[in-house]
Amino acid sequence: MTKYIVRRLLQAIPVVFLISVVCFFLMLLAPGGPQAQFNQNRFVTQDQVNAWLQHWCLVRNPGPLDMLKEYGGWLGVWNCHAGSLLSDQNLPNFLPGFLGGGDNGMLHGDWGISIYLNQPVADVILGRLPVTMLLMTTAWIIWLTLALLLGVMAAVKRYSIFDQIVTFFSYTFYSLPTFWLGLMLIYIFAVSLHWFPSQLIQSPRISPGPFASSVWWTAFWTNPGKYGWDVAMHLVLPVTTLVAVSVAGDSRFVRSAMLESLNQDYVRTARAKGLGERRVIFRHAFRNALLPIITNGALEVAFLFSGAIVTETIFSLQGMGYLFIQGLQAHDYFLLMGIVFIGAILVVVFNLVADVLYAVADPRIRYD
Amino acid sequence: MSTVVDLEGVSPITEGRAVGSPPPPDVLLDVRGLKTHFHVMDGTVPAVDGVDFQLKRGETLGLVGESGCGKSVTSLTIMRLIDIPPGEIVAGEIWFDGQEILSLPMAEMRRIRGSDMSMIFQEPMTSLNPVFTVGDQIAEAVKAHRHVSKKEARNRAVEMLTAVGIPSPERRVKQYPHELSGGMRQRIMIAMALSCDPKLIIADEPTTALDVTIQAQILELIKSMQERTGAALLLITHDLAVVAETVQRMAVMYAGKIVETGTAQEVLLNPKHPYTQGLITSIPSNVPRGQRLNVIRGTVPNPFRMPRGCRFEPRCPFAFEPCQEFDPPLLTTDRDRRAACWLLYPPSELPRPGATTPDALAPAAPVARERVNKQ
Repeated sequence: MTKYIVRRLLQAIPVVFLISVVCFFLMLLAPGGPQAQFNQNRFVTQDQVNAWLQHWCLVRNPGPLDMLKEYGGWLGVWNCHAGSLLSDQNLPNFLPGFLGGGDNGMLHGDWGISIYLNQPVADVILGRLPVTMLLMTTAWIIWLTLALLLGVMAAVKRYSIFDQIVTFFSYTFYSLPTFWLGLMLIYIFAVSLHWFPSQLIQSPRISPGPFASSVWWTAFWTNPGKYGWDVAMHLVLPVTTLVAVSVAGDSRFVRSAMLESLNQDYVRTARAKGLGERRVIFRHAFRNALLPIITNGALEVAFLFSGAIVTETIFSLQGMGYLFIQGLQAHDYFLLMGIVFIGAILVVVFNLVADVLYAVADPRIRYD
Repeated sequence: MSTVVDLEGVSPITEGRAVGSPPPPDVLLDVRGLKTHFHVMDGTVPAVDGVDFQLKRGETLGLVGESGCGKSVTSLTIMRLIDIPPGEIVAGEIWFDGQEILSLPMAEMRRIRGSDMSMIFQEPMTSLNPVFTVGDQIAEAVKAHRHVSKKEARNRAVEMLTAVGIPSPERRVKQYPHELSGGMRQRIMIAMALSCDPKLIIADEPTTALDVTIQAQILELIKSMQERTGAALLLITHDLAVVAETVQRMAVMYAGKIVETGTAQEVLLNPKHPYTQGLITSIPSNVPRGQRLNVIRGTVPNPFRMPRGCRFEPRCPFAFEPCQEFDPPLLTTDRDRRAACWLLYPPSELPRPGATTPDALAPAAPVARERVNKQ
C-alpha cells in the first residue's frame, strides 16, 4: 500500500504541472491585465505603467514567447530580472538555491507576490485559509451526514411518504442555482427575520481580531462560548447554501446505492440467517452501499472548494474563495495561480484518499 | 430514526387469525392451500396458486418444475422471505414443527429462520457478503441463535467448515468469499445453513450455478449432512436426475400448482399427470441418436392470463371436455400418491359443462380460507 501511495504521489506531479500550465496560459490569454487599474488615472503615464509591469515581470499584450517567459518565471525556470534561464550565479535557474540556482518561482517554494495586495501570496492565502477550511469542513460533515441519513432512510422506506418528500425536495433544491439560494436565504433569514447575520465570519462589534489570528485565539480561549457561538451563527447561512444543492443530489445517489445493495442476494442470506432487520440493513446492506459513497464523498471536497468561491462571495466571508474573486477582478495572476494550485493539490490528494479508503473498505480491492 | 424506519416488519397475514388444526406430530412441514401473488405494474402474478404438500421429520422431498413455475417462491414463502409488497400471501397455512408460521410475528419468525429452518440458495457467488470473511458470516448465524461467546461462535464456524469438507478450515475462516471457488462457496453456504442444527433444510437449486463436476459432490454433501443430522430436506430443482438420486418423495409443480406427488420412484417410473409424462419423455437420453427429441409443445401460460380450467390444458395432448373450464383438484390415486388430472377421475365424477360448482371439487379441494392481507 505504501508503495502504491508513493507511486500515486509521483504520478500527481505531472498532473499538477499540466494543470498549472493550462491555468496560467488561459489567464494570460484573457483580455486586459493588472495594468487596467491605471486606465482611469490620468496622472500615470504609459512609461510608468510599462515600468510597473516590468517590475512584475509582465508585458503588455504578451506574445507566446512572453507568456512562456512569464510562466517560467512563476515556475522558477526563468530568471526574469536577468532575462535568461541562468541564475545570477550563472547556473541553471531551476536548481535549488544552495546549488547556485535562483530563488524565484514555485520550484523554490516561492509562491510569488500578489499584485493586487502587494503581499507574498503564501502569506495572503495562509491568512484566508482558516475561514475556508472551517466552511468546507463544516459543510462536508453536514453534507455527508445528511446525504447518508436521507438516502439510507429513503431507500429502506422506498415509495413511502418519507421517500416521496425527500425526492420532491431533492429535485427542488437540485434545480436551484447556488447564488440565488444564497441571496434568498439572506433575504428571508437575515433581512426579514433577523435570525442569522448575513455576512462576515464574526460580528465586527465583538471581534477581537481577524478570525483564527493569534489575537483571536487568545480571546477565544478566554470565552469560547461567546466567540464560538458568534462564528457558528455566521456559518449557518453559508453552510446551508453550500450544502443544500449538493445534499439534494447526493441523497439520491446514496438512495440508489443502498437500494441496489438491499436487492442483493447476500441481504436475503442475512435475513435467512434470522438476523434482525437493523443488522441486515446497517451491517450487511449499508456496508456494501458505502463503497461507491466513499469515492463520491472524497471527491466532493474538490467540489466544495469551488462551491466556496460563490458562497464566500455572497456572504463576504474573508476566505480563499472571496480572495479568488478579488484576484480575478484585478488580474492578479500570481494570487490566482496560488489558489488554483491549492485546488489542484486538493483534487489530487482526495482522489488518492478515495482510492485508499476504497481498498480499506472492500477486501476485493488490492493495489499491489 | 426508528420513527421513520420500521425495523420490525409487518406480519403478512393478520396475526391471531383463525387457523386449522395442527398436523400429526410426525409431520414437520405442512403447507396447505398456499397462495403467494405478486402485484406488479401490469397486474397480479399468481406465482404460487394453491400449493399443498407435507414433509415428515427426517424425510426428503424434491419439488420439481420448470423455471418460473413457483418453486422458489414456495420456498421463500416458507422462510417468509417474500418482499411484501409487491408480494402478498393471499391464502394458506404453513405448519412447521407444530406451529402455524404465517401468523407468527416477524420477531418470532426470525428465531426460527436460520436455526430450526434454514436455506441454501442457488447462487453461491452472490449469496455471500463480499466484505466479510466467511468465518464471520457463519459465526454471525450461530451468534444470532445461540448464547455463545465470539470465540465459541468462531470455533463452531471452524467445526462446520471441517464438517462440510473444507481443507485447512483454520485458514479458510479468515478468507473472503472472492478468494474461494464456486463449489467452496456453496460448501460455506451449507455450513452456514447447518450451523444451528436445523430441523428443515431448504435447498433451492443448490447445484444449478455450479460446475457439473462439482454438482455431484455438493449433492452428496447435502445428502450426507442431512442423514447425519436427521433433518428433513426440501430440495428444489428442475433436474430430474438430481431428484432420482437424492430424494424419497417428490412433488411436481406447474404454473403455480402442484400437479403430482408421490415417491420419487413411483412418479418417475409411472407418471400419472400428462405434464410429468411430458417431462420424463423429453429427457434426451431416452431418445435414440439421430431422432428428434420429444418436447412438450407450447409454452408456459402467461401469468397475467392463466387458463380458466386446468393450467396445462392448452399444451396437453389428452385434453378433453372438462379441462378447459374446470381446474382439477389433486386426487389421491394410491397411498401417498396424488395427481391433478381429470383423466384420473371416474367419468361419473367429472364436472358437467356449465356447472358452477362441480361436485368433484367439493371433497378434494384444499381447506383454504381466503383472507385479506394487512398490507
